[in-house]
Amino acid sequence: MSNDIASRPRPSLGSPSLLSIATPLALLVLWEVSARLGWIDVRIIPAPSAIAVEFAGLFASGEIWPHLFATTVRFVVGTVVGVVPGVLLGLTMGIFPRVRAALQPLIMLFYPLPRIALFPLMLMIVGLNERANVLMIALGPFFTMLISTMAAVLSIDSLYKDVAASFRTNTRDLYFRVMLPASLPMIFSGLHISIGLALMTTTAVEFLNAETGLGYMIWHSWQILSIKLSLTCLILSGLIGALFYGLFQQIEKSLLVWQKSSR
Amino acid sequence: MLSRGHMATLAEQVVTVDQYAEAQPGRGVHLKGLSKHYDLKGGHVVALDNIDLDIREGEFVCIVGPSGCGKTSLLRILAGLEEPSGGVLDIDIDAGARPLRSMVFQGNGIFPWMKVIDNAAYGLTARGVPKREAHALADAYLEKLGIAQFRDAWPRQLSGGMLQRVNLARAFANDPAILLMDEPFGALDEQTKILAYADLLGLWEKTRKTVLFITHSIDEAIILADRVCVMSRRPGRIKDVFEVDLPRPRAVFDLQNNIDFMRIRKNVWSSLRDEVVPAGAHPEAST
Repeated sequence: MSNDIASRPRPSLGSPSLLSIATPLALLVLWEVSARLGWIDVRIIPAPSAIAVEFAGLFASGEIWPHLFATTVRFVVGTVVGVVPGVLLGLTMGIFPRVRAALQPLIMLFYPLPRIALFPLMLMIVGLNERANVLMIALGPFFTMLISTMAAVLSIDSLYKDVAASFRTNTRDLYFRVMLPASLPMIFSGLHISIGLALMTTTAVEFLNAETGLGYMIWHSWQILSIKLSLTCLILSGLIGALFYGLFQQIEKSLLVWQKSSR
Repeated sequence: MLSRGHMATLAEQVVTVDQYAEAQPGRGVHLKGLSKHYDLKGGHVVALDNIDLDIREGEFVCIVGPSGCGKTSLLRILAGLEEPSGGVLDIDIDAGARPLRSMVFQGNGIFPWMKVIDNAAYGLTARGVPKREAHALADAYLEKLGIAQFRDAWPRQLSGGMLQRVNLARAFANDPAILLMDEPFGALDEQTKILAYADLLGLWEKTRKTVLFITHSIDEAIILADRVCVMSRRPGRIKDVFEVDLPRPRAVFDLQNNIDFMRIRKNVWSSLRDEVVPAGAHPEAST
């Protein structure tokens, strides 16, 4: 009987992960060499080594911390404020056809709007404050999670819905023991997209309505023509995104152990 | 209508639907003139037409019929997953504190995102039995079915036969008064099926639940059931009902060579054959 439990060899971590380090490294080397040989104008695009020095300087002086902190908080709070209601409403619209019929036209109307263009309106309604920033950041993750969660629920094998109905599953269990776990694989794809959207919007609102944050720094240093500082902050915000992306991949791995692995 | 030609030769096993309804007024599940229509894009489909059937409390009834005859619709109506278009469905069984009915589906419907034990206990936890108690009850059934060592495994790690045992454990642990089973063993290979019959009958003989079991396999129906009902081609009706007078507990592993088994099998097949093979389509089939 024990042979029913298939031993699943984990994919070898050797060569694929080495490759994932090798490509960015090669790009950096190419960039550095190009700058040193004068192929690119270092006044416009400084060499990585120059950026690294700037980087170290910012951390040494401690000047960057408040900005890094402000951006991280906006990004995290905005993502959570978007993702949680997005998933809940997505589940609701997936489970109840009437709710879906009532709300789908509105979603289709609002989803494709260039959301950042709503920012002036948001500022008028909510005020020139942090709440407006967070709500603006939340919009992208909200719509992304809403749409991907609803699609996930609709694609769940009807057999599982029948089983749940046959056991007279109550609404709370239907949400959190059946539909949510069954939708998790697609919810995680939505989350990965949401992280990118939230970070993009965080930077954008910091251009427009903030005196702290990496976005503010990028815009401010561009205005004083300090390209080095601008690029350094840009890279920092990219690192925040990569950090959270990696974090979510770890969470995904541990939450989806039940899935037949296809990787 | 019933084919009277058969009736004379099969008199000892066949009870006509009408006679049966009059003879059995007791507790159980009573269907009277039940029908089900669907309006599809292709037009109006009569899936079930004037179904009369009485199932006694504690009886194991199998329904065999050609594919597309509405067997599954009938079961879904009994499970409360669909409404009948006409007729009466009277469930005269007192379940007490237990759930009235549960359905066991084609394929196993085991939730891949829950461990085996949580699947087996699902019916119980879904109706609010505390987790510790639910797990204890479910563990007992996993033990009886010989899969206790997999309680903390994920379903993806189990074979089809073992998943079907988890499915049986889930159905019996929930302890419904009526079990509605929709070809649960259809996907299993022949050897695994025989083991599954033994598992199911072992559990049933201890609990004597009312069971309505749908299958397209005559052998499966006779091995399991007290009575076998043959359904007609669409629109589905109960065509004939055969008593299976084989002793219980059934000798699942050698039953297929038993002389009484073969006699019943022959009778059921001669009733079902006319439904599976349209008249005149295969001349050799009528010999």
